[in-house]
This record gives sequence, C-alpha cells and structure tokens, in this order.
Amino acid sequence: MSAPRQDATISPSPPPTHRPESIDDLATTLREHSDAKEAVAILGGGKHRWMGTPPQVDAVVETRLLSGVRVFEPDDLTVVVGGGTTLADLEAELAEGGKTAVLPETDPDATVGGVVASGASGYRRARYGPTRDRMLEVTAVTGDGRIVRSGGRVVKNVTGYDLPRLYTGSFGSLGVIESVCLKLWPLPESLATVEIDDPERASQAHRPLAILDVSGGTRVMLSGMASAVESEAARLGGTIEDGLKWPQRPQGGLRVEVRLPPEHVPKAVALLKGDYLAQVGVGVIETTLDTTSAVADLRSDVESWGGVVVVAGGHDIDPWGTPPTTLDLQRRVIVEFDPNRILEPGRLPGGL
Amino acid sequence: MTLLHELATATSPDRVTDRPYDLHLHSGDAGLRRGEATIVVFPESVEEVQAVVRIAADQGMPLVARGAGTGLASGAVPTEGGIVLTLTHMNRILDIDPVNRTAWVEPGVINLDLSRATTEYGLHFAPDPSSQQACTIGGNVANNSGGPHCLSEGSTVNHVLAVEMVTVDGEVITLGSAAPDPIGLDLRGVVVGSEGTLGVVTKALVKLTPDPAEVKTMLCAFPTVEGAAAAVSGIIAAGVVPAALEMMDQGMLIAVENWLHAGFPTEAAAALIAEVHCAPGAAESEVEVIRSVSDEQGATEVRVAQSEEERAIIWKGRKSAFGAIAQTAPNYYLHDTVVPRTKLVETVTELYEIAEAAGLPMMNVFHAGDGNLHPLIAFDVSKPGVYEQVHEAADKMVAACVTRGGVLSGEHGIGAEKRELMGTVFTEVDLDAQARLKEVFDPDRILNPAKILPAGSRCFDYGGAPLPEGTWI
Repeated sequence: MSAPRQDATISPSPPPTHRPESIDDLATTLREHSDAKEAVAILGGGKHRWMGTPPQVDAVVETRLLSGVRVFEPDDLTVVVGGGTTLADLEAELAEGGKTAVLPETDPDATVGGVVASGASGYRRARYGPTRDRMLEVTAVTGDGRIVRSGGRVVKNVTGYDLPRLYTGSFGSLGVIESVCLKLWPLPESLATVEIDDPERASQAHRPLAILDVSGGTRVMLSGMASAVESEAARLGGTIEDGLKWPQRPQGGLRVEVRLPPEHVPKAVALLKGDYLAQVGVGVIETTLDTTSAVADLRSDVESWGGVVVVAGGHDIDPWGTPPTTLDLQRRVIVEFDPNRILEPGRLPGGL
Repeated sequence: MTLLHELATATSPDRVTDRPYDLHLHSGDAGLRRGEATIVVFPESVEEVQAVVRIAADQGMPLVARGAGTGLASGAVPTEGGIVLTLTHMNRILDIDPVNRTAWVEPGVINLDLSRATTEYGLHFAPDPSSQQACTIGGNVANNSGGPHCLSEGSTVNHVLAVEMVTVDGEVITLGSAAPDPIGLDLRGVVVGSEGTLGVVTKALVKLTPDPAEVKTMLCAFPTVEGAAAAVSGIIAAGVVPAALEMMDQGMLIAVENWLHAGFPTEAAAALIAEVHCAPGAAESEVEVIRSVSDEQGATEVRVAQSEEERAIIWKGRKSAFGAIAQTAPNYYLHDTVVPRTKLVETVTELYEIAEAAGLPMMNVFHAGDGNLHPLIAFDVSKPGVYEQVHEAADKMVAACVTRGGVLSGEHGIGAEKRELMGTVFTEVDLDAQARLKEVFDPDRILNPAKILPAGSRCFDYGGAPLPEGTWI
C-alpha cells in the first residue's frame, strides 16, 4: 500500500470543493483524484469532523447533493436514502409513515452518510441497538472510483460478506457512502421521560429506550402502548413527562467520548469533574475535559478496564488512544478499497 | 510424515481420523449436497486449531471448519476435499458475566445449552434457529443465523460483540470488544456470516438478552394467505413489533398436526404464530392489538396460549415443522430467501405456481415479520430425475424472489448452494470487492474454498488497479 501522503500541506487557499450531483459524478471525481494521488476530505453535515486526526487534503467532496429519500415503503420497514440527507429531513419523512431510523436524536443537521461513516448511534440504542445493526445495504464509491453495492433492501440478509457493517465507522476509508438502506422501527404509540432520584430503580425498567445519567440525575426513556408506558412510569416513580426529553451534550473544552464495558460506567463517571452524559447499560459517556493531560489520565484508567477514550483530533494527544492490534489487517482491507489512500488518509486509529 | 501423522502430532492420535465412516459423516450437512473429506480433526484448544490451520496452509490443502452440521446451504461441506476441522469438542462456556450481560463461549457450545446455562441469571441468547437444540454457536456465527425471534432482536451479528479467530497464517487475533463501538474497522461484523472463509473462530463474546417479564404466544388462523400477510403488516403498523411473527401455510399445518396432534388449525389457509415479550402487566394490550388486527383481516380463530405447556407445543410445531415432513416424503429441499414484506403475498403465490407446474408438493413456513420465506419441497431422492427437477424449481423460486427486490438468503447462508446465483443480485464490480476482502484474509484460498462467491469473482480487472508487490512489468 502506498503510505499516506506525507508531503501534503494545507494550501494557503481553501482546497477546491466538489459537490457531486450523482453517483457517476462522484465516481469520476474520486477517480481523478486517485489518479493524481490527491487526498480528499468527505464532508456531510460536518458533525463528526471532531473525530480522528484531521487529514491534510487537496480537495473536499461535499455529499449534500446526494440526498433525498429514494425508496420508502413503510410496511417493508426499510428506507433507501441518499448519504447527503440530513437526519432531520429523513426522520421527518419517516415519521409521516409512522417509522423511525433511530438515528442520533440531537444532531438533526448531521447527514446519514456522516453518521454511518463515523459509526454514530442514537441514545435509543439501549432498546434498538447501534446504527450498525440497522445497516442493510450500502452503495459507495471506492477511492479509485468503483461503484460498489453490498447487502440488500430487506430486513434480514446473509447474501455475501456484510460490507454494510464494515462501512459503519470506517471514516471514509472504504469509500464515499452514496446511499444506504436502513432497517426501520415503527414509532410507538406512546413515549415518556421519567426522572428518577434512585438510579437503582432505573435498572428495573423493562426494555427502556435509554437510561441516561445526566451529571448525576437519572432519566429513563420509555416507549410502547399508552397503557403500558403509563403503568411502567408509575411503577418506576419519579417525575413523568410525555415525549422524549433528550439532554444537551456537555459543551466547552475538549470533546470526549468514553466507550467501555457497561459495568464500569459508575467508576468512570466518578473520575469526571465536569458535566457528563452517560448511557447506562450501554457504556458510552460523553463529556468534556480541559486539558490533554486530563484526557491521558482518564484514558489510562479506561483502557485498563477494556475501554477507549476518544478525544477531539488536532490536539497534542492521539484522538483514539492505543490502536487495535489488527492494524495490518485493517490496512490491507483499506488498500483494496482505496488503493492510493486518498480518502481521509490517517483519520482512523493507528494513522490508517 | 503422512498428513494423518502430522495432524495427530499436532493434536492427538485419537482425534484425527480418516476412517471411511467418519469421513462420510463429515462430508455433508443437513442439506443434500455432499463433498469428500480427506481427513477429519477434532481440536480441543486454540493452539491445536493454529497447528492444524498451519498444516493446511503449508500443504495448500482446503480446510473446512464446522460445528454440528445442521446447515442447509453446504457451508460446512468439503466440496473441494481437504481437512474438516470439527469444533464440537471445543464446547465450553468460558465465562458468564451477568453484569455486562455477556458470555465468552467456545464455538462448539450448542445454542440452546447457552440459554439454559444463563437462565439462572434471567438471561438468554436471543438467536434461536429452529435447529437450536443441535446447532453450535460457532455455526451461528459462521452463518449469521437467525430464527423466529430475530424479528425484534436481530440476527446473530447483533449478538456477537467480539470473536477470537485463527487466521490462515495461524495467528490468533481478537476482533471487537466488550466495550461498545470499538475503534477502527469493524472486522468482527464482516467475520460474522463469513462461513469460515476468513478464519476459524475459536471463541466468541456474545451478548445475552434479559428474559421477558411477561410472554404471550398466540396462534391466529386465516382463511387466506393474503389475510395472514395483511395482519402481519397491520400489527407492525400499529406500532407493535412482536418478539416473533411466524406464518405456516395449510400444507405445513396439516403435516405438523398429523404428527403433533396439538389442535393446529388444519382448515386454515395460513396461521400466524405471534409472540409478545412485555413489561409486567403490559402483554394484554399488545395481545389485544394482535387480536383486533387479526379479526379485521378475517381471522377464523385467535388462540392465546394459556399455559407454558400450550406455548411450548405451539413452538414445537413451528420449530419441528421440517421434521414433520418425513411423513410426506423421505427428502426435502428447504429454501431460504427474503423479499420485502409487502411482496410476500405475490411472491408466495408465484412459488405455489412454480411448484404446481413442476408437479412437486411444496409447503411453507416463514418468518413473516421479516419477509423471510422457507418454501419446502418434499420429494423422494431415489426416484430418477427428481433431484434435478427439484433444483430447477428451487432456482426458479429464488429468481421469483430476486425479481421482487429480494435476496438469496436471509439466515441459512450462501455456501456452495447459491454461490453461482450471486451474479443475479450483484454486479461484477460488487463481487470483485467482496472477493478482494476474502483475498486479504486468505490469499491462497485455503479456508473453506469455493463458498459464497462464484468462481472468477476476482477476475474482474478494473483499470488502474494496483499490481501486486514485486510484479514485473
């Protein structure tokens, strides 16, 4: 594999931006940059650019014009949607058919492609699983301009290797996501947010959408038939509100995301001084820290518990921490999809 | 040193065999296609697996890992000969972690045994293929197996957090982690469902699911398949995703009833089995939704199991359906395809037409909620020409599904059975991308060769593709 370009520098003027309007357009653009060995950043809503080492690039490909719902048959519980579609636009259209793609709740301007490429998930994953579990089909353009479709437009499929899952969290390294087919869930009849004083009680909730520890306060998100939600909320006790009241993620300082086996969440939040938002039972904690040395301290504990601390890139600390042990294998997979390594080079763990 | 000696030295003489009976036993799966195993090895540790994989790689000999052999798509069949690595001796549950709701298991652990072992913690392993009394977790991982309850819980891949795998170089690697969203490429996700073509999984960290507080199982009879299918859509449109939503057609209901005598509605054109898993006291409202939607669609009977025994017998009828076919004909060919759920009725109608035109008796059980069809053709393989006829009809059935936007397999895998059909759903470029992935893991095609991808998938030569290192131009 060719090494990531070491000689590329940020040009004084901003790099040229392409806004492909079709998949063929996208393929041509990428093929040209691949031939010229020019690195490319892929930009959707820009909501996940904080993750990974910012690559030095010669051009930007904006995906916003590759947007729109292509196929939505509510009864199939699937949707085919362009990668450049915003979450707000997609969920609004799905809601008309009584469905949801369970995408991140508090990033309406993020794009579907960006969510998939960064492997982001909504808080409702406690009930519905992470985004990768809803990936049915991906159509992507490889670094060298090949149009590759994988998976299928049905809710259950083992036809061929599961590339849709591989694309999830690949940060562009396997291709630019032009469109995806996602598995949907029906919107439940009733939703409620319950604020509870005693976190122990929260753990007794039956299949909640989420249990959030918001800097020490516990919120349980419930869904289901109206009568069931009502009785479940009453059983848990606490302050009950209709609908889902998602908290804001902590602001200011270095953005940090902790991922660790769920049992260690209480130990990890005990180390935090600022605001945090922890997904109980899932093992994801969002917080901010003031200094990279504070990140390093937290990271050393969390890694010893089998977790990772992801911190915003571009500072004097590795954004991912200790890389996985399978870097060589990952590198060899990536080179088959991006031979000249032009797509967001170096953004993944281990400088891949 | 002969291969037998070499493998015996690497493992143990009593766990390597080339006796004709053993070879025969390990040359097939639960489907009809057979291969010819050269030798069979039963490793008991990851080190032994490493040693066997290295021997296979050194000799350039195919290596086919397998578990109980309950697969139907010949994923575990040594179609190219070679070493069959039977992992059923590696059957320990290594660790159950009730706090994180996970377990580390060896590949030979039987699916149902895991759920039995975790009952005391109020947990179970959600994927529940009909073969769950016999099939292994390793096989579930290889095929990304499903089962009735994956409607709400998802297939095996949703329940595998990490795998330990021996690569073709004999190295041990771990993919995935106990923490959510491991950083880097999700190679775990692609290894699950790869049918032993990328490596040999020697351990898996699986997710355990809390047992439901309240379970209700229902049997709803319909005078038409259309009515049953419409009820499936109606239930989900009402915002209820049952834990399972299965359909059996009349042929299957009769076959099961003749054997089980459990009062299955044999007069019905189709019956739905619906199961809801709920919070304490909440099941009744979901049962009512299913009852009222079924009534609207003309259900002739809606039965709610009143006891655990009644529930068990409904599921026994469903999960033993294929065994019940033995009274109809000695052999059966069971297919596994998926269509978008809204295409279920028209697809099934065409499947009946195909079977009728071929003069073959066909019956259906399906995971209706998922659009996952299991048409089953009963026949007698000893009659000359019938096997070919069955295959021809089966291929037509797959085509009928693909035409409607369906796929080749929902949970059984591609194996050798459907690899030549992959070109009906993927382009050359798509297949080439998958072949490249396989090549990264197994460049010399040692690991379960001639499976999943059709021959020549990697031949597609894209302009500008890099030449391998060291190539002389």
